[in-house]
Amino acid sequence: MAELDDIIHQPLRLKIMAALNALPVASGLEFARLKKLTGATDGNLGAHIETLAKAGYVSVDKAFVGKKPQTTVTATATGRGAFARHVATLQEIIAGKQV
Amino acid sequence: MIDSKEASAALADIDDIVQRVKQSQLYELASLAALWWGVLVFAGNLVTWLWPFYARYAWPAVDILGVGGLIAIRLLTPSQPQPAAFDVRLVLVFVLFFAFGYICTNVLGHYGPRELGAFWPIYFMLFYTLAGLWFGYAFVAIGLVIIALTLIGFFTIGEPFPLWMAFVNGGGLIVGGLWMRRI
Repeated sequence: MAELDDIIHQPLRLKIMAALNALPVASGLEFARLKKLTGATDGNLGAHIETLAKAGYVSVDKAFVGKKPQTTVTATATGRGAFARHVATLQEIIAGKQV
Repeated sequence: MIDSKEASAALADIDDIVQRVKQSQLYELASLAALWWGVLVFAGNLVTWLWPFYARYAWPAVDILGVGGLIAIRLLTPSQPQPAAFDVRLVLVFVLFFAFGYICTNVLGHYGPRELGAFWPIYFMLFYTLAGLWFGYAFVAIGLVIIALTLIGFFTIGEPFPLWMAFVNGGGLIVGGLWMRRI
């Protein structure tokens, strides 16, 4: 019986992973874009990205575009796999295979 | 463990965010196209205004560069989980679009430069607006504003109509493209 992924299951982290997983492999989202998509605050988003990064689910790249710092978050292969399993578990719960 | 109601809510959240990402990617792609066409159309109208004789060369060049740029943007932008393949239907859409426009302006009617200057932007922005009914309100807003301003210019602006169109059509697409990147 598959288990829900506790790291992904938190609502904002679920949104972050869903957004990143919708992109082509190795493509990422800028922090500002992710903030707009999820409706999160800077601090909240930053903290949850850090949790996902510690779990190895996302990679965070910081660079300067001109003089502006730009943070890009990308789902790793581990993160994509964990997200796919999490979604499959959710679907199993709905189908009544798990209680 | 969660119940099926909570699981459904979580999946709905996922669907919602995936739709938002797709919309955001579409706007990003469309904004590049709008910026590209905006610059070209601005230049085309400027040539028409400053050197009317060369308009006959400028507009085919604008069309070829515009369509070529669109295909390049589509192929080079990684907007889909799978890389975009060359789709012959995209070329067919443009061939039919320009063929119908040509039939209207040169076969069914014989439009002068001023009528041509109004017809093509209205015709182009009509498709833009219609596409917006499926792909997002920004297309509808940009399309309707440019159509309205084109008509206002056509009926009220005299000689400087091409200059008006440079700012309304070219400038409108550029501003619209920049706006799409922010929403």
